[in-house]
Amino acid sequence: MRRAPVAQQALSHDGAATCPTAAVVRVGIGLRVPHYDAILQRGISVDFAEAISENFVARGGRARSVLTRVRADRDVTLHGVSLSIGGIDPLSESYLKGLVELAREIEPMSVSDHLCFGTFGGHYAHDLWPLPYTEEAILHVVERVQRVQDRLGRRLLLENVSSYVEYRQSVLDEWEFLSEVVTRADAAILLDVNNVFVSSKNHGFSGSDYLAGLPRERVHQIHLAGHSDAGGYLLDDHGSAVSEPVFRLYEEAILRFGPVPTLLEWDERVPELAVLEAEAERAGERAQRRLGRQTGTAQRGEHEAR
Amino acid sequence: MKLAELQRYFAAAATSSSGAILGLEEVFLGSDSLSPSARLGIYNRGYYYRLLDALASVFSETKRVLGDARFEQLGLTYLSRHASEHPAVERVGRKFPEFLRTLGPAPDPVLADVAALEWARLCALVAADPATLARPESLEPAHFPDARLRFVASLQCLALDARALRVVEGGAWPTSEPARETGVAVWRPAHALLQTQLEPVEYRALRAALGDAPMSYVCAIFDTGKGQDDEERAFLALRGWFSRHWVEEVDSCGP
Repeated sequence: MRRAPVAQQALSHDGAATCPTAAVVRVGIGLRVPHYDAILQRGISVDFAEAISENFVARGGRARSVLTRVRADRDVTLHGVSLSIGGIDPLSESYLKGLVELAREIEPMSVSDHLCFGTFGGHYAHDLWPLPYTEEAILHVVERVQRVQDRLGRRLLLENVSSYVEYRQSVLDEWEFLSEVVTRADAAILLDVNNVFVSSKNHGFSGSDYLAGLPRERVHQIHLAGHSDAGGYLLDDHGSAVSEPVFRLYEEAILRFGPVPTLLEWDERVPELAVLEAEAERAGERAQRRLGRQTGTAQRGEHEAR
Repeated sequence: MKLAELQRYFAAAATSSSGAILGLEEVFLGSDSLSPSARLGIYNRGYYYRLLDALASVFSETKRVLGDARFEQLGLTYLSRHASEHPAVERVGRKFPEFLRTLGPAPDPVLADVAALEWARLCALVAADPATLARPESLEPAHFPDARLRFVASLQCLALDARALRVVEGGAWPTSEPARETGVAVWRPAHALLQTQLEPVEYRALRAALGDAPMSYVCAIFDTGKGQDDEERAFLALRGWFSRHWVEEVDSCGP
Protein backbone atom coordinates (compact mmCIF):
# COMPACT_ATOMS: atom_id res chain seq x y z
CA MET A 1 0.00 0.00 0.00
CA ARG A 2 1.28 3.49 -0.84
CA ARG A 3 2.34 5.61 2.07
CA ALA A 4 -0.01 8.51 2.68
CA PRO A 5 1.67 11.90 2.41
CA VAL A 6 2.21 13.64 5.72
CA ALA A 7 -0.09 16.42 4.55
CA GLN A 8 -2.86 13.89 4.26
CA GLN A 9 -2.18 12.69 7.78
CA ALA A 10 -2.55 16.27 8.93
CA LEU A 11 -6.14 16.20 7.78
CA SER A 12 -6.92 13.02 9.64
CA HIS A 13 -9.58 13.00 12.35
CA ASP A 14 -7.22 12.69 15.26
CA GLY A 15 -4.87 15.42 14.15
CA ALA A 16 -1.94 13.12 14.83
CA ALA A 17 0.40 14.98 12.57
CA THR A 18 -0.20 18.66 12.84
CA CYS A 19 2.85 19.90 10.97
CA PRO A 20 2.68 18.77 7.37
CA THR A 21 5.89 20.31 6.11
CA ALA A 22 8.45 20.12 8.89
CA ALA A 23 8.19 16.34 9.34
CA VAL A 24 9.31 16.69 12.93
CA VAL A 25 8.71 13.66 15.10
CA ARG A 26 6.69 15.08 17.96
CA VAL A 27 7.38 13.44 21.29
CA GLY A 28 5.26 13.13 24.41
CA ILE A 29 5.14 11.70 27.90
CA GLY A 30 2.39 10.27 30.09
CA LEU A 31 0.99 12.34 32.95
CA ARG A 32 1.88 10.50 36.17
CA VAL A 33 1.06 11.44 39.76
CA PRO A 34 4.69 11.77 40.99
CA HIS A 35 5.17 14.58 38.45
CA TYR A 36 2.03 16.56 39.24
CA ASP A 37 3.71 19.19 41.43
CA ALA A 38 6.48 19.80 38.90
CA ILE A 39 4.00 20.01 36.03
CA LEU A 40 1.77 22.48 37.89
CA GLN A 41 4.86 24.58 38.47
CA ARG A 42 6.50 24.57 35.04
CA GLY A 43 4.42 22.54 32.60
CA ILE A 44 6.19 20.05 30.35
CA SER A 45 9.02 20.59 27.88
CA VAL A 46 8.00 17.94 25.33
CA ASP A 47 5.42 18.37 22.57
CA PHE A 48 2.44 16.60 24.07
CA ALA A 49 1.18 14.66 27.07
CA GLU A 50 -0.96 11.58 27.41
CA ALA A 51 -3.72 11.47 30.01
CA ILE A 52 -5.04 8.08 31.06
CA SER A 53 -8.74 8.68 30.44
CA GLU A 54 -9.95 6.79 33.52
CA ASN A 55 -7.91 9.07 35.77
CA PHE A 56 -9.64 12.18 34.47
CA VAL A 57 -13.22 11.26 33.53
CA ALA A 58 -15.60 13.06 35.92
CA ARG A 59 -12.74 14.03 38.21
CA GLY A 60 -11.55 17.29 39.66
CA GLY A 61 -8.85 18.42 42.05
CA ARG A 62 -5.14 18.26 41.39
CA ALA A 63 -5.36 15.79 38.53
CA ARG A 64 -7.73 18.05 36.61
CA SER A 65 -5.60 21.12 37.35
CA VAL A 66 -2.58 19.31 35.92
CA LEU A 67 -4.48 18.42 32.78
CA THR A 68 -5.71 21.98 32.38
CA ARG A 69 -2.20 23.33 32.95
CA VAL A 70 -0.69 21.06 30.32
CA ARG A 71 -3.47 21.67 27.82
CA ALA A 72 -2.91 25.42 28.09
CA ASP A 73 0.22 25.20 25.92
CA ARG A 74 0.55 21.61 24.73
CA ASP A 75 -1.43 18.96 22.90
CA VAL A 76 -2.96 16.17 24.94
CA THR A 77 -3.98 12.64 23.99
CA LEU A 78 -6.63 10.67 25.88
CA HIS A 79 -5.61 7.07 26.31
CA GLY A 80 -7.94 4.57 27.94
CA VAL A 81 -7.38 1.20 29.56
CA SER A 82 -10.92 0.14 30.50
CA LEU A 83 -13.03 0.45 27.38
CA SER A 84 -12.78 -3.30 26.77
CA ILE A 85 -13.47 -2.81 23.09
CA GLY A 86 -13.24 -6.54 22.44
CA GLY A 87 -15.24 -7.60 25.48
CA ILE A 88 -18.56 -9.38 25.35
CA ASP A 89 -19.96 -7.23 28.17
CA PRO A 90 -21.91 -4.21 26.94
CA LEU A 91 -19.85 -1.05 26.58
CA SER A 92 -20.18 1.02 29.75
CA GLU A 93 -22.58 3.82 28.93
CA SER A 94 -21.50 5.94 31.90
CA TYR A 95 -17.82 5.60 31.02
CA LEU A 96 -18.48 6.42 27.37
CA LYS A 97 -20.53 9.45 28.34
CA GLY A 98 -17.74 10.66 30.61
CA LEU A 99 -15.16 10.08 27.89
CA VAL A 100 -17.18 12.01 25.34
CA GLU A 101 -17.55 14.91 27.78
CA LEU A 102 -13.84 14.89 28.62
CA ALA A 103 -12.90 14.82 24.93
CA ARG A 104 -15.27 17.69 24.20
CA GLU A 105 -13.70 19.71 26.97
CA ILE A 106 -10.03 18.88 26.38
CA GLU A 107 -10.08 18.66 22.57
CA PRO A 108 -7.35 16.02 22.52
CA MET A 109 -5.24 15.30 19.47
CA SER A 110 -6.34 11.67 19.74
CA VAL A 111 -8.52 9.29 21.74
CA SER A 112 -7.24 5.75 22.07
CA ASP A 113 -7.69 2.47 23.90
CA HIS A 114 -6.43 -1.11 23.58
CA LEU A 115 -7.39 -3.87 21.19
CA CYS A 116 -8.22 -6.42 23.86
CA PHE A 117 -10.87 -7.25 26.42
CA GLY A 118 -10.79 -6.39 30.09
CA THR A 119 -14.26 -6.93 31.45
CA PHE A 120 -16.01 -10.08 32.60
CA GLY A 121 -19.52 -10.49 33.95
CA GLY A 122 -19.90 -6.79 34.63
CA HIS A 123 -16.51 -6.53 36.32
CA TYR A 124 -13.26 -4.85 35.34
CA ALA A 125 -10.00 -6.80 35.17
CA HIS A 126 -7.85 -3.67 34.92
CA ASP A 127 -5.71 -5.73 32.60
CA LEU A 128 -5.38 -6.03 28.83
CA TRP A 129 -6.45 -9.55 27.97
CA PRO A 130 -5.76 -10.78 24.43
CA LEU A 131 -8.46 -11.65 21.92
CA PRO A 132 -8.55 -14.68 19.65
CA TYR A 133 -7.66 -13.63 16.11
CA THR A 134 -10.80 -14.88 14.40
CA GLU A 135 -13.41 -13.52 12.00
CA GLU A 136 -15.99 -13.61 14.78
CA ALA A 137 -13.78 -11.41 16.94
CA ILE A 138 -13.16 -8.98 14.06
CA LEU A 139 -16.90 -8.56 13.45
CA HIS A 140 -17.54 -8.10 17.15
CA VAL A 141 -14.80 -5.49 17.64
CA VAL A 142 -15.51 -3.56 14.45
CA GLU A 143 -19.15 -3.04 15.41
CA ARG A 144 -18.14 -1.75 18.85
CA VAL A 145 -15.39 0.52 17.49
CA GLN A 146 -17.86 2.07 15.08
CA ARG A 147 -20.30 2.72 17.91
CA VAL A 148 -17.59 4.39 19.99
CA GLN A 149 -16.43 6.48 17.03
CA ASP A 150 -20.00 7.58 16.40
CA ARG A 151 -20.27 8.73 19.99
CA LEU A 152 -16.91 10.48 19.96
CA GLY A 153 -17.42 11.97 16.52
CA ARG A 154 -13.84 11.07 15.71
CA ARG A 155 -11.59 8.18 14.84
CA LEU A 156 -10.50 5.88 17.67
CA LEU A 157 -6.88 4.75 17.86
CA LEU A 158 -6.42 1.11 18.87
CA GLU A 159 -3.24 -0.03 20.56
CA ASN A 160 -1.77 -3.49 20.15
CA VAL A 161 -1.25 -5.11 23.57
CA SER A 162 1.64 -7.20 24.78
CA SER A 163 0.58 -10.79 25.40
CA TYR A 164 1.76 -13.96 27.06
CA VAL A 165 -0.64 -16.50 25.58
CA GLU A 166 -2.19 -17.34 22.21
CA TYR A 167 -5.48 -19.07 21.44
CA ARG A 168 -5.49 -22.27 19.46
CA GLN A 169 -8.53 -20.93 17.62
CA SER A 170 -6.71 -17.94 16.13
CA VAL A 171 -6.58 -18.12 12.35
CA LEU A 172 -4.76 -14.84 11.72
CA ASP A 173 -1.50 -13.33 12.85
CA GLU A 174 -1.89 -10.50 15.33
CA TRP A 175 -0.93 -7.84 12.80
CA GLU A 176 -3.44 -9.21 10.29
CA PHE A 177 -6.15 -9.07 12.96
CA LEU A 178 -5.23 -5.50 13.94
CA SER A 179 -5.12 -4.39 10.31
CA GLU A 180 -8.50 -5.93 9.51
CA VAL A 181 -10.16 -4.31 12.53
CA VAL A 182 -8.89 -0.80 11.89
CA THR A 183 -9.51 -0.97 8.15
CA ARG A 184 -13.07 -2.26 8.41
CA ALA A 185 -13.92 0.12 11.27
CA ASP A 186 -12.08 3.05 9.68
CA ALA A 187 -10.13 3.39 12.89
CA ALA A 188 -6.40 4.03 13.38
CA ILE A 189 -3.49 2.31 15.05
CA LEU A 190 -1.57 3.34 18.11
CA LEU A 191 1.46 1.17 17.54
CA ASP A 192 3.18 0.16 20.76
CA VAL A 193 6.61 -0.88 19.55
CA ASN A 194 7.62 -2.27 22.93
CA ASN A 195 4.50 -4.45 22.92
CA VAL A 196 5.37 -5.73 19.45
CA PHE A 197 8.86 -6.60 20.68
CA VAL A 198 7.66 -8.25 23.91
CA SER A 199 5.02 -10.34 22.12
CA SER A 200 7.41 -11.26 19.32
CA LYS A 201 9.78 -12.79 21.89
CA ASN A 202 6.98 -14.40 23.90
CA HIS A 203 5.39 -16.01 20.84
CA GLY A 204 8.31 -16.36 18.44
CA PHE A 205 7.39 -14.12 15.53
CA SER A 206 9.35 -11.38 13.79
CA GLY A 207 8.78 -7.79 14.88
CA SER A 208 9.76 -6.65 11.40
CA ASP A 209 7.08 -8.86 9.86
CA TYR A 210 4.58 -7.31 12.23
CA LEU A 211 5.47 -3.77 11.12
CA ALA A 212 5.50 -4.76 7.46
CA GLY A 213 2.01 -6.19 7.79
CA LEU A 214 0.36 -2.98 9.02
CA PRO A 215 -1.33 -0.46 6.69
CA ARG A 216 0.99 2.54 6.67
CA GLU A 217 -1.66 5.22 6.56
CA ARG A 218 -3.43 3.93 9.67
CA VAL A 219 -0.51 4.20 12.11
CA HIS A 220 -1.15 7.55 13.79
CA GLN A 221 0.81 7.30 16.99
CA ILE A 222 3.61 5.24 18.53
CA HIS A 223 4.24 4.17 22.12
CA LEU A 224 7.63 3.29 23.55
CA ALA A 225 8.33 1.79 26.97
CA GLY A 226 10.65 -0.45 28.90
CA HIS A 227 10.19 -4.13 29.66
CA SER A 228 11.95 -6.68 31.83
CA ASP A 229 13.19 -10.24 31.41
CA ALA A 230 11.07 -12.37 33.75
CA GLY A 231 13.01 -15.53 33.01
CA GLY A 232 11.41 -17.47 30.19
CA TYR A 233 9.38 -14.54 28.96
CA LEU A 234 9.49 -10.77 28.64
CA LEU A 235 7.23 -8.74 30.90
CA ASP A 236 5.80 -5.45 29.68
CA ASP A 237 6.21 -3.57 32.97
CA HIS A 238 7.00 0.00 31.85
CA GLY A 239 9.57 0.12 34.60
CA SER A 240 12.80 1.03 32.85
CA ALA A 241 14.33 2.92 29.94
CA VAL A 242 13.56 1.78 26.41
CA SER A 243 15.89 -1.08 25.47
CA GLU A 244 18.20 -0.91 22.48
CA PRO A 245 16.39 -3.66 20.53
CA VAL A 246 13.11 -1.80 20.98
CA PHE A 247 14.74 1.42 19.80
CA ARG A 248 15.99 -0.40 16.69
CA LEU A 249 12.49 -1.69 15.99
CA TYR A 250 11.20 1.82 16.56
CA GLU A 251 13.58 3.17 13.94
CA GLU A 252 12.25 0.57 11.55
CA ALA A 253 8.74 1.72 12.34
CA ILE A 254 9.61 5.36 11.76
CA LEU A 255 11.12 4.52 8.40
CA ARG A 256 7.97 2.67 7.41
CA PHE A 257 5.29 4.91 8.90
CA GLY A 258 6.97 8.32 8.78
CA PRO A 259 7.24 10.97 11.48
CA VAL A 260 4.50 9.62 13.70
CA PRO A 261 4.01 11.30 17.12
CA THR A 262 5.79 9.17 19.69
CA LEU A 263 4.99 8.84 23.37
CA LEU A 264 7.23 7.46 26.09
CA GLU A 265 5.47 5.47 28.83
CA TRP A 266 6.97 4.87 32.28
CA ASP A 267 4.72 3.53 35.04
CA GLU A 268 6.88 1.64 37.54
CA ARG A 269 9.85 3.13 39.40
CA VAL A 270 8.98 6.42 37.70
CA PRO A 271 12.02 8.73 37.34
CA GLU A 272 12.09 12.50 37.72
CA LEU A 273 10.10 14.47 35.17
CA ALA A 274 13.27 15.86 33.58
CA VAL A 275 14.64 12.34 33.08
CA LEU A 276 11.44 11.24 31.41
CA GLU A 277 11.42 14.28 29.15
CA ALA A 278 15.06 13.67 28.20
CA GLU A 279 14.26 10.03 27.37
CA ALA A 280 11.38 11.14 25.15
CA GLU A 281 13.61 13.68 23.43
CA ARG A 282 16.19 10.94 22.89
CA ALA A 283 13.55 8.88 21.11
CA GLY A 284 12.63 11.84 18.94
CA GLU A 285 16.26 12.47 18.06
CA ARG A 286 16.84 8.85 17.10
CA ALA A 287 13.76 8.91 14.90
CA GLN A 288 14.83 12.17 13.34
CA ARG A 289 18.32 10.88 12.62
CA ARG A 290 16.87 7.76 11.07
CA LEU A 291 14.70 9.90 8.85
CA GLY A 292 17.86 11.66 7.74
CA ARG A 293 16.81 15.04 8.94
CA GLN A 294 18.23 17.50 11.40
CA THR A 295 16.61 17.39 14.76
CA GLY A 296 16.77 19.53 17.84
CA THR A 297 15.32 22.39 19.66
CA ALA A 298 15.74 24.88 16.86
CA GLN A 299 13.61 22.96 14.43
CA ARG A 300 11.08 22.18 17.12
CA GLY A 301 11.08 25.84 18.05
CA GLU A 302 10.37 26.87 14.47
CA HIS A 303 7.52 24.42 14.37
CA GLU A 304 5.98 25.84 17.50
CA ALA A 305 6.42 29.41 16.31
CA ARG A 306 4.37 28.64 13.21
CA MET B 1 -15.59 -22.24 21.30
CA LYS B 2 -17.43 -19.03 20.48
CA LEU B 3 -15.88 -15.70 21.43
CA ALA B 4 -18.09 -15.31 24.49
CA GLU B 5 -17.20 -18.75 25.76
CA LEU B 6 -13.50 -18.16 25.18
CA GLN B 7 -13.61 -14.90 27.11
CA ARG B 8 -15.46 -16.45 30.04
CA TYR B 9 -12.91 -19.27 30.10
CA PHE B 10 -9.97 -16.85 29.97
CA ALA B 11 -11.47 -14.68 32.73
CA ALA B 12 -12.07 -17.73 34.90
CA ALA B 13 -8.42 -18.73 34.56
CA ALA B 14 -7.05 -15.23 35.00
CA THR B 15 -9.11 -14.51 38.12
CA SER B 16 -9.17 -17.96 39.70
CA SER B 17 -8.21 -17.90 43.36
CA SER B 18 -7.99 -21.67 43.64
CA GLY B 19 -5.55 -22.18 40.78
CA ALA B 20 -7.01 -25.28 39.14
CA ILE B 21 -8.55 -24.70 35.72
CA LEU B 22 -9.01 -27.78 33.56
CA GLY B 23 -8.35 -28.06 29.84
CA LEU B 24 -6.05 -25.07 29.32
CA GLU B 25 -3.99 -27.02 26.78
CA GLU B 26 -7.04 -27.45 24.57
CA VAL B 27 -7.65 -23.70 24.38
CA PHE B 28 -4.24 -22.08 24.58
CA LEU B 29 -0.91 -22.68 22.88
CA GLY B 30 2.16 -23.43 24.95
CA SER B 31 5.83 -23.70 24.14
CA ASP B 32 8.84 -25.68 25.36
CA SER B 33 9.68 -23.00 27.88
CA LEU B 34 6.17 -22.02 28.98
CA SER B 35 3.11 -24.22 29.28
CA PRO B 36 -0.39 -22.78 28.80
CA SER B 37 -0.83 -23.03 32.56
CA ALA B 38 2.35 -21.01 33.19
CA ARG B 39 1.25 -18.44 30.62
CA LEU B 40 -2.19 -18.01 32.21
CA GLY B 41 -0.41 -17.80 35.56
CA ILE B 42 1.23 -14.57 34.39
CA TYR B 43 -2.23 -13.07 33.90
CA ASN B 44 -3.50 -14.51 37.19
CA ARG B 45 -0.63 -13.01 39.23
CA GLY B 46 -0.93 -9.75 37.31
CA TYR B 47 -4.65 -9.55 38.06
CA TYR B 48 -4.37 -10.04 41.81
CA TYR B 49 -1.21 -8.07 42.47
CA ARG B 50 -2.22 -5.11 40.34
CA LEU B 51 -5.45 -4.85 42.32
CA LEU B 52 -3.63 -5.45 45.61
CA ASP B 53 -1.34 -2.52 44.75
CA ALA B 54 -4.40 -0.40 44.12
CA LEU B 55 -5.85 -1.39 47.51
CA ALA B 56 -2.54 -0.63 49.22
CA SER B 57 -2.35 2.82 47.65
CA VAL B 58 -5.80 3.74 48.97
CA PHE B 59 -5.61 1.96 52.34
CA SER B 60 -2.04 2.80 53.31
CA GLU B 61 -2.81 3.33 57.02
CA THR B 62 -4.90 0.18 57.17
CA LYS B 63 -1.90 -1.62 55.70
CA ARG B 64 0.45 -0.03 58.23
CA VAL B 65 -1.73 -1.27 61.08
CA LEU B 66 -2.18 -4.76 59.67
CA GLY B 67 1.40 -5.25 58.51
CA ASP B 68 2.39 -6.24 54.97
CA ALA B 69 1.74 -9.98 55.25
CA ARG B 70 -1.67 -9.72 56.94
CA PHE B 71 -2.75 -6.96 54.55
CA GLU B 72 -1.77 -9.09 51.57
CA GLN B 73 -3.64 -12.08 52.96
CA LEU B 74 -6.80 -10.08 53.69
CA GLY B 75 -6.49 -8.10 50.47
CA LEU B 76 -6.26 -11.20 48.30
CA THR B 77 -9.23 -12.76 50.11
CA TYR B 78 -11.21 -9.58 49.56
CA LEU B 79 -10.28 -9.45 45.86
CA SER B 80 -11.28 -13.07 45.35
CA ARG B 81 -14.78 -12.14 46.60
CA HIS B 82 -15.14 -8.61 45.22
CA ALA B 83 -14.10 -7.98 41.63
CA SER B 84 -13.81 -4.39 40.46
CA GLU B 85 -17.02 -2.67 39.39
CA HIS B 86 -15.51 0.61 38.19
CA PRO B 87 -13.31 1.58 35.24
CA ALA B 88 -10.87 3.34 37.60
CA VAL B 89 -8.73 0.76 39.36
CA GLU B 90 -8.54 2.40 42.81
CA ARG B 91 -12.32 2.04 43.14
CA VAL B 92 -11.85 -1.71 43.61
CA GLY B 93 -11.67 -1.02 47.36
CA ARG B 94 -15.22 0.30 47.69
CA LYS B 95 -16.37 -2.62 49.80
CA PHE B 96 -13.08 -3.18 51.63
CA PRO B 97 -14.12 -1.36 54.85
CA GLU B 98 -17.29 -3.44 55.04
CA PHE B 99 -15.29 -6.58 54.32
CA LEU B 100 -13.00 -5.78 57.27
CA ARG B 101 -16.05 -5.13 59.45
CA THR B 102 -17.41 -8.59 58.73
CA LEU B 103 -14.20 -10.22 59.90
CA GLY B 104 -15.46 -9.99 63.46
CA PRO B 105 -13.50 -9.28 66.61
CA ALA B 106 -10.09 -9.97 65.05
CA PRO B 107 -8.64 -7.79 63.71
CA ASP B 108 -9.84 -4.91 65.86
CA PRO B 109 -13.17 -3.50 64.62
CA VAL B 110 -11.69 0.02 64.69
CA LEU B 111 -9.68 -1.10 61.68
CA ALA B 112 -12.82 -1.06 59.54
CA ASP B 113 -13.31 2.57 60.55
CA VAL B 114 -9.72 3.36 59.58
CA ALA B 115 -10.43 1.85 56.16
CA ALA B 116 -13.77 3.70 55.91
CA LEU B 117 -12.03 7.00 56.57
CA GLU B 118 -9.34 6.22 53.98
CA TRP B 119 -12.06 5.38 51.48
CA ALA B 120 -13.84 8.67 52.22
CA ARG B 121 -10.57 10.50 51.69
CA LEU B 122 -10.13 8.86 48.28
CA CYS B 123 -13.70 9.78 47.28
CA ALA B 124 -13.09 13.38 48.30
CA LEU B 125 -9.76 13.48 46.51
CA VAL B 126 -11.04 12.37 43.11
CA ALA B 127 -14.48 14.01 43.19
CA ALA B 128 -15.46 16.36 40.40
CA ASP B 129 -14.94 20.06 41.03
CA PRO B 130 -18.08 22.07 41.84
CA ALA B 131 -19.45 24.21 39.05
CA THR B 132 -20.24 27.00 41.51
CA LEU B 133 -20.24 27.66 45.23
CA ALA B 134 -23.32 28.97 46.98
CA ARG B 135 -23.33 31.89 49.38
CA PRO B 136 -25.46 32.03 52.55
CA GLU B 137 -27.50 34.85 51.00
CA SER B 138 -28.85 32.29 48.55
CA LEU B 139 -31.03 31.02 51.41
CA GLU B 140 -33.83 33.51 51.01
CA PRO B 141 -35.99 33.87 54.12
CA ALA B 142 -39.22 33.43 52.17
CA HIS B 143 -38.12 30.05 50.81
CA PHE B 144 -36.00 28.93 53.75
CA PRO B 145 -38.26 26.19 55.21
CA ASP B 146 -38.53 24.30 51.93
CA ALA B 147 -35.05 25.03 50.59
CA ARG B 148 -32.61 22.18 50.11
CA LEU B 149 -28.84 22.31 49.96
CA ARG B 150 -26.87 20.68 47.15
CA PHE B 151 -23.41 19.82 48.39
CA VAL B 152 -20.10 19.67 46.54
CA ALA B 153 -19.20 16.19 45.31
CA SER B 154 -16.07 16.00 47.44
CA LEU B 155 -17.95 16.25 50.75
CA GLN B 156 -18.00 12.94 52.62
CA CYS B 157 -19.77 12.56 55.95
CA LEU B 158 -19.35 9.49 58.11
CA ALA B 159 -19.59 8.29 61.70
CA LEU B 160 -16.70 6.33 63.15
CA ASP B 161 -14.77 5.49 66.27
CA ALA B 162 -12.64 8.54 67.12
CA ARG B 163 -9.65 6.24 67.62
CA ALA B 164 -9.64 5.60 63.86
CA LEU B 165 -8.92 9.30 63.32
CA ARG B 166 -5.76 9.06 65.43
CA VAL B 167 -4.59 6.07 63.42
CA VAL B 168 -5.11 7.75 60.07
CA GLU B 169 -3.17 10.74 61.39
CA GLY B 170 -0.24 8.36 61.93
CA GLY B 171 -0.90 7.57 65.60
CA ALA B 172 0.26 4.45 67.38
CA TRP B 173 -1.62 1.18 67.21
CA PRO B 174 -3.19 -0.35 69.26
CA THR B 175 -4.46 2.68 71.05
CA SER B 176 -5.31 2.82 74.74
CA GLU B 177 -8.03 5.44 74.20
CA PRO B 178 -11.60 4.42 75.04
CA ALA B 179 -14.06 3.94 72.19
CA ARG B 180 -16.03 7.07 71.27
CA GLU B 181 -18.18 7.56 68.21
CA THR B 182 -17.81 10.82 66.33
CA GLY B 183 -19.02 12.37 63.11
CA VAL B 184 -16.40 13.32 60.55
CA ALA B 185 -16.60 15.42 57.42
CA VAL B 186 -13.95 15.11 54.70
CA TRP B 187 -13.76 17.49 51.77
CA ARG B 188 -11.39 19.03 49.24
CA PRO B 189 -11.80 22.77 48.74
CA ALA B 190 -9.02 22.98 46.12
CA HIS B 191 -6.20 20.44 45.95
CA ALA B 192 -5.72 19.66 49.63
CA LEU B 193 -7.90 17.27 51.62
CA LEU B 194 -9.43 18.63 54.81
CA GLN B 195 -11.36 16.86 57.54
CA THR B 196 -13.12 17.93 60.70
CA GLN B 197 -14.96 16.27 63.55
CA LEU B 198 -18.62 17.10 63.93
CA GLU B 199 -20.71 17.35 67.08
CA PRO B 200 -23.39 14.61 67.10
CA VAL B 201 -26.19 17.08 66.41
CA GLU B 202 -24.36 18.68 63.49
CA TYR B 203 -23.52 15.25 62.10
CA ARG B 204 -27.21 14.27 62.17
CA ALA B 205 -28.22 17.57 60.56
CA LEU B 206 -25.61 17.24 57.83
CA ARG B 207 -26.65 13.66 57.09
CA ALA B 208 -30.24 14.84 56.78
CA ALA B 209 -29.27 17.72 54.50
CA LEU B 210 -27.19 15.38 52.34
CA GLY B 211 -30.26 13.16 52.17
CA ASP B 212 -32.26 16.01 50.58
CA ALA B 213 -34.15 17.06 53.72
CA PRO B 214 -35.60 20.59 53.63
CA MET B 215 -34.08 23.26 55.86
CA SER B 216 -37.07 23.19 58.22
CA TYR B 217 -36.30 19.54 58.98
CA VAL B 218 -32.54 20.11 59.18
CA CYS B 219 -32.91 22.98 61.62
CA ALA B 220 -35.41 21.06 63.76
CA ILE B 221 -32.63 18.58 64.53
CA PHE B 222 -30.95 21.30 66.61
CA ASP B 223 -34.14 21.81 68.62
CA THR B 224 -33.63 20.77 72.25
CA GLY B 225 -36.24 23.15 73.62
CA LYS B 226 -33.67 25.77 74.60
CA GLY B 227 -34.95 28.37 72.14
CA GLN B 228 -32.30 30.90 71.25
CA ASP B 229 -29.39 28.57 72.07
CA ASP B 230 -30.72 26.00 69.60
CA GLU B 231 -31.19 28.63 66.93
CA GLU B 232 -27.68 29.89 67.45
CA ARG B 233 -26.20 26.42 67.15
CA ALA B 234 -28.15 25.81 63.96
CA PHE B 235 -27.04 29.17 62.60
CA LEU B 236 -23.37 28.52 63.40
CA ALA B 237 -23.47 25.07 61.84
CA LEU B 238 -25.09 26.34 58.65
CA ARG B 239 -22.68 29.24 58.41
CA GLY B 240 -19.82 26.74 58.74
CA TRP B 241 -21.16 24.65 55.86
CA PHE B 242 -21.10 27.66 53.58
CA SER B 243 -17.77 29.05 54.78
CA ARG B 244 -16.08 25.66 54.30
CA HIS B 245 -17.34 25.64 50.71
CA TRP B 246 -19.49 22.55 51.19
CA VAL B 247 -22.58 24.01 49.52
CA GLU B 248 -22.64 24.10 45.74
CA GLU B 249 -26.17 25.28 45.29
CA VAL B 250 -29.33 26.20 47.18
CA ASP B 251 -32.46 24.70 45.72
CA SER B 252 -35.35 26.90 46.74
CA CYS B 253 -37.88 25.10 44.60
CA GLY B 254 -38.18 21.94 46.63
CA PRO B 255 -38.14 18.37 45.29
